[in-house]
Amino acid sequence: MKKFLTIVVTLTAFVAAPMMSFAACDYRPSSKVSLLANSFAAWKAVSDAMGECGNFEAELDAEFRKKQPDAFAANPSLYQLGGVSNGTIQPLLSAGTIRPLDDLVAKYGKDLQPNQLIRINGQVMAIAMMVNNQHLMYREDIFKSLGLEVPTTYFELLSAADKVAASGQVQYALGGTYKAGWNLAEEFVNMYIGMGGDFFDGSKPNLNNAMGVRTLEMMRNLTHYMDPEYLVADSTYVQQQFQQGKIAMAVLWATRAAAMDDAKESQVVGKVKMAAAPSPVSGALPASTLWWDGVVLAKNMTDQQADEAFQLLMEGIDREMVTSNNDAAVWLINGYKPGPVAMGAAETAENGALPYPNGVEMGLMHTALGNNVADFLTGKETAEQTLIDIEAEYTTAAKEKGLL
Amino acid sequence: MKNRTFLVFVGPSLFLMFLFIAGPLMSVAWQSVHITRAVYEEVETELCTPGFLTQKCTMEIRTQPQLDENGRQISETVFVGFESYKNLLQPQVAFENIKEGSWAKLSNINFFKALRFTLTFTLITLPLVLGIGLLVALTVNQVIQSLRGPIIFISLLPFVITPVIGALSFRWLFVGDGILTALLEWWLERDIAMFAQGWTIEVLMLSYRVWHVAPFAFIVFYAGLQTVNRDTLESAIVDGATRWQRLKLVILPHLSPLILFVSIIHLMDSYRVFEEVIGFRSQAHVISLQWLTYNFLTLDETGNRMISRASASSMLTMIGIVFLLLFPLRSTWREHQKRRSG
Amino acid sequence: MSESSFLPKSLQLSKSLKLLSNGFLSIWCLIAVFPLLWITLMSLKYPLDAFSANPLVVIFGPGTLSAGASINFFDLLLVILWVVVAFLGIKRWQAEKNLGSKNWLYLGISIGWLFAAVALTELSATLREQLGADFFLSTPLLGMTTEHFQSVWIEQEFYQQFFNSLFVTTGVVSISLTVGTLAGYGLARSGSNWAFWILMTALVFRALPHSVLVSGYLPWFINSAEWLRPIFGEATLTLYGQPWAIIVVLASINQPFTIWMLRSFFQNIPRELDEAARIDGCSHGEAFVRVIVPVMWPGVLTAGLFSFLLAYNDYLVAALLLDAQNQTMVPAISGYFNRETTSTDQVEAVAAAVSITAPLFVLVMVFQKQLVSGLTQGAVKG
Repeated sequence: MKKFLTIVVTLTAFVAAPMMSFAACDYRPSSKVSLLANSFAAWKAVSDAMGECGNFEAELDAEFRKKQPDAFAANPSLYQLGGVSNGTIQPLLSAGTIRPLDDLVAKYGKDLQPNQLIRINGQVMAIAMMVNNQHLMYREDIFKSLGLEVPTTYFELLSAADKVAASGQVQYALGGTYKAGWNLAEEFVNMYIGMGGDFFDGSKPNLNNAMGVRTLEMMRNLTHYMDPEYLVADSTYVQQQFQQGKIAMAVLWATRAAAMDDAKESQVVGKVKMAAAPSPVSGALPASTLWWDGVVLAKNMTDQQADEAFQLLMEGIDREMVTSNNDAAVWLINGYKPGPVAMGAAETAENGALPYPNGVEMGLMHTALGNNVADFLTGKETAEQTLIDIEAEYTTAAKEKGLL
Repeated sequence: MKNRTFLVFVGPSLFLMFLFIAGPLMSVAWQSVHITRAVYEEVETELCTPGFLTQKCTMEIRTQPQLDENGRQISETVFVGFESYKNLLQPQVAFENIKEGSWAKLSNINFFKALRFTLTFTLITLPLVLGIGLLVALTVNQVIQSLRGPIIFISLLPFVITPVIGALSFRWLFVGDGILTALLEWWLERDIAMFAQGWTIEVLMLSYRVWHVAPFAFIVFYAGLQTVNRDTLESAIVDGATRWQRLKLVILPHLSPLILFVSIIHLMDSYRVFEEVIGFRSQAHVISLQWLTYNFLTLDETGNRMISRASASSMLTMIGIVFLLLFPLRSTWREHQKRRSG
Repeated sequence: MSESSFLPKSLQLSKSLKLLSNGFLSIWCLIAVFPLLWITLMSLKYPLDAFSANPLVVIFGPGTLSAGASINFFDLLLVILWVVVAFLGIKRWQAEKNLGSKNWLYLGISIGWLFAAVALTELSATLREQLGADFFLSTPLLGMTTEHFQSVWIEQEFYQQFFNSLFVTTGVVSISLTVGTLAGYGLARSGSNWAFWILMTALVFRALPHSVLVSGYLPWFINSAEWLRPIFGEATLTLYGQPWAIIVVLASINQPFTIWMLRSFFQNIPRELDEAARIDGCSHGEAFVRVIVPVMWPGVLTAGLFSFLLAYNDYLVAALLLDAQNQTMVPAISGYFNRETTSTDQVEAVAAAVSITAPLFVLVMVFQKQLVSGLTQGAVKG
């Protein structure tokens, strides 16, 4: 009987819990507000904070970029709020489906930092909440035991990898997010920008040069120290390799740093340290790009809805949320205390990492890179042929879009 | 049956198929010869984005689509004839490569790469599925009655399982140091990476598909075996026919319409192979025709999608399947003629 | 006397051949069931054990055990008892020849038994408390946890997706069978060239890649509120995200296969049956209802099973045309995988994957006899 009572009580609490949790938030929108955003820990934290207010629904999906432009073009828009980055805001801007936020910021945005307001031609178009880049993560214990310095260039990184590999302390010296497609292209972009390369000459592609060849060759040299299955490795895969103690170094997203110290999953708690992303050659830019993540509001909804959605958003990205999720990201929000895991990301930015060069042309280029770089890494093609293929694929697409 | 009654019976089905299959198909055909694109202009834009501590503002010249007074993108649709097909097939390059006999170069064109894989995938799995399905059906058919139920149950599982999940469960067994890879490594005493090179991934994809579809063949054949004429079999034994002869002369002819049925279904399904490419993340090594279409349709980072080339690629895929089906369907046509005259 | 002597002589095998064929069958069964068993096992362990390269670690789960999650001998007994009773219930159900009320009762009991499992778990916990950990029945045997299942079904409210799936599949099966049965009968009884060409076109439709079709719907579905407004007025809904819109789409996509299958089935029902009814003065419609409907169930059931599989397993259509609120189970699962964060999330995704295969298990167990008899009676005669 006692048991039965316990069950009843638990069940009641379980049913009642969502209703009581409204108390954590002092704002409740009158109509349903929904958010479509990418899916990683920071978005989860923000959407949970908004969820406490009630009448809110989040769709977090790593494939959100395939849906967002269409969903925001609908009238009324299918989502009121959209999570974007400096890349994914582009199609929404191009299609004119998001609204300027100046008046709402003036009305409700007293807690926002000036740094958070993304301005385009003077108008606030998005509210940024965090920044992200790729930085170097390494096993401090292994580096100490081998007497290695933290590499600042890829040349040093390769020689460190060589020593780590020779020592046999880990299965593979390096990890890398080389999954064919978007990830692989992103790695190429980082390296090429670090070399000082420029992807375009006007709208014409500008890859088939010595720098392009050097970029490809560097990538291939790195793969020699990776798990041979690198072409299926995405961020989670590399993160797990780290957690299971299989790799000693990787240039990985800053948002992945906190997971290394999660005792439930990681066998290397406290052993992984962060440093600035290395440069391809000494004195050059870091091979990393700066990203921001933030929120936009759809144009196709009533002003009343926009007003409510914005107020709800302010509840989601407030000080309270940041204090309870401090290490989930490098936040831009008031109240954030940069912890040790954020140091690498900050140093990378200080070393002059450039923002990801978003733009209509870059979207086409990124796809062309993602489809072709693997051919060089698997040895199917020479570097020159790969670059010719990339340029040809880009040119076809750009002609089809009327850019050339 | 009169035409009107016929129409009443078939009407609802035709309506659904017309609205949701034929309709989209026509629009795909139309889109494959047209291109819709935005009208771009170059604008000098001031862009302010967050640095780590302070905001950075830059002036840059950006290419962006023009918007009309309602804030909607202005777009134009132009007739381009077979331009998209040409971009897809690159006939001149392809022809030169064929003349040189250089397969490696030909496979540099994505369409031919995808076609090569799709065709080999279809043609290799077909006999395997038929063979294993038949073998399982024959062996189950001679097992004692009380064991048949459980065996049929187990055999059907790979077929009913959600394909995405099935492919994933296969992947987990092999990816990285997955349990079966570890087993192989232990057995062969060497380091193995199943996802590091194209051919091993291809083998995995093939075995997954056979695992998934063979049960379908099995259950169809097993049902067929239940109606084999026992008397014919018994008299064949009396005539001294060996087991092999009985299989060849009595059982297989009896099953032949079913073999045709399974083949047609399998040809269609494996020709549009797609889940395997996603599930096994094979796109760096092998791609399939439907994956190619899907890839063109996927929005890229800046919201572009290649609708015209996607449509062209799906039209070509469809023409391919019609070709593949021509051969098995000739017999259906003959049967139809016979039924009409008879 | 071995049991095989009950088989007709034509099916008897020599000893060596029998050994060979039984060996082959055992290997086949192992291959068929192994990947599924393995992911079930993975879903019951903490990530450290689940992704281990050592099979013994995955089976015994030392990490999970030391984390304090385990099952004991008594739990194991309960599980076995549960499986046996469920199995017997279904067996009893299958044994009945006709689909009468009595065997629906058996089915109900077996399903009710499913829920009894919850009570049994409670019982086991209580007993463990009473007996203490030293008693041999309650020593931990294997590291095992149902935490991931609880997290998926309770905390993350996966049951909502389950009900969405239930709604969509029920809708698809009933629409595609209603429409398909009529069409299948019409096609089977008409020898006209029209019928032939409809079948051929349907076959080509069946072969179309789904991604092509879906991309055709997407813009229409999203903007439907705009172009339907003149017809339906202000109350118009956006079709995107509406489960019933998905139902119609999936039923349509499934039509080609359904009409092919049912046509061959109806062709096997002797024409004389409905012709006799026609002579008695029935119209085609009446003849269909009076004569054909009573005998068509095995074929319809088989076609229904295939429709069910299509609707239940569909990924592409639901993923693209439904939003998160109305998402069915399969796309929701790949959502779990796309939520690329932690290894715990991954094991939860595995648990979700295992959960959605469970209804398929029950489906096969319950209907496998009907499936075989439907196929035997000619649902697939080319």
